[in-house]
Amino acid sequence: MASEKPIHITITLPTNAYFLSGIRDFTLSLTKNLTGFNDQWAYRCQAVIDELCNNAIEHGSLPGEEITIMFISVKGEYIEFIVEDKGSNEKVTSADMNRLISERMSPTYEQKLGVRGRGLPQIVAGWTDEVEYTDAKPKGLRVRVRKYVKNTPGKKQNFMQDMTKNLALK
Amino acid sequence: MTYVNISVENIESSDKGKPIKLIKFSGQLDESNVDESAKKIYKLVEENPEKLSLIFDFSDLDYMNSKSIGYLTDWYGRITGKDGKIVIAKAKENIRDILDVVGLTQLIHCYPSVEEAKLAIMTK
Repeated sequence: MASEKPIHITITLPTNAYFLSGIRDFTLSLTKNLTGFNDQWAYRCQAVIDELCNNAIEHGSLPGEEITIMFISVKGEYIEFIVEDKGSNEKVTSADMNRLISERMSPTYEQKLGVRGRGLPQIVAGWTDEVEYTDAKPKGLRVRVRKYVKNTPGKKQNFMQDMTKNLALK
Repeated sequence: MTYVNISVENIESSDKGKPIKLIKFSGQLDESNVDESAKKIYKLVEENPEKLSLIFDFSDLDYMNSKSIGYLTDWYGRITGKDGKIVIAKAKENIRDILDVVGLTQLIHCYPSVEEAKLAIMTK
């Protein structure tokens, strides 16, 4: 069966944590209704987007700026989130961020975390299949994460597939 | 600011030197409110420096971000370092899931009811 046409949604958000609850609600609803993931994965996607947006606001933006959030969903295939900031006074490059994730995900990494530092390596990287930082133009960072529906434990079952499988077993 | 409410109830303890508090969270803990909310718990910890036991009732907590998990870990370290205990009761599935992924459920036990959490605090 041919893939459905991707759904692209772009939201621009002021750099204020006040708006994050609305983005979480939107993500939960989008993931539940348009992707094929079950409720558990919808909540996980909600946490992923919250962490990405918060990082972009806190570390990648100056007050009064905006961040851009893109949702790309191909039902039954994958959901992708892209969060782009406009840069701050913190001199962090995409290479730094990709290295940080790689280090923290390593089995030999010795965890010495304080109150911060769990969002990206444990929640974002833990609950997605691809995480990639690139440098945005003219400045800032762009992070793209993707989660595939296929082979995800607990994905919503297609009724017709279930019926066919059951009939085949009989 | 996202809505969150924290209520604190004293639980009767047979040992007066071991205060037990039931802390109920309602709403969502996110970047807009987590620092302010955490101050209430730090105040409680300061007021009860020894053998404090906290039962976190998460039955009405709908969301918690990574920073709130960081605070929870910090409270765990401070309280257990002074012969106290921390347990969680009635966490929703999505909350339990996020606590699992960061490994916090290996440190802090989760109980399906407040009664079971109280029993665990009082007997262990």
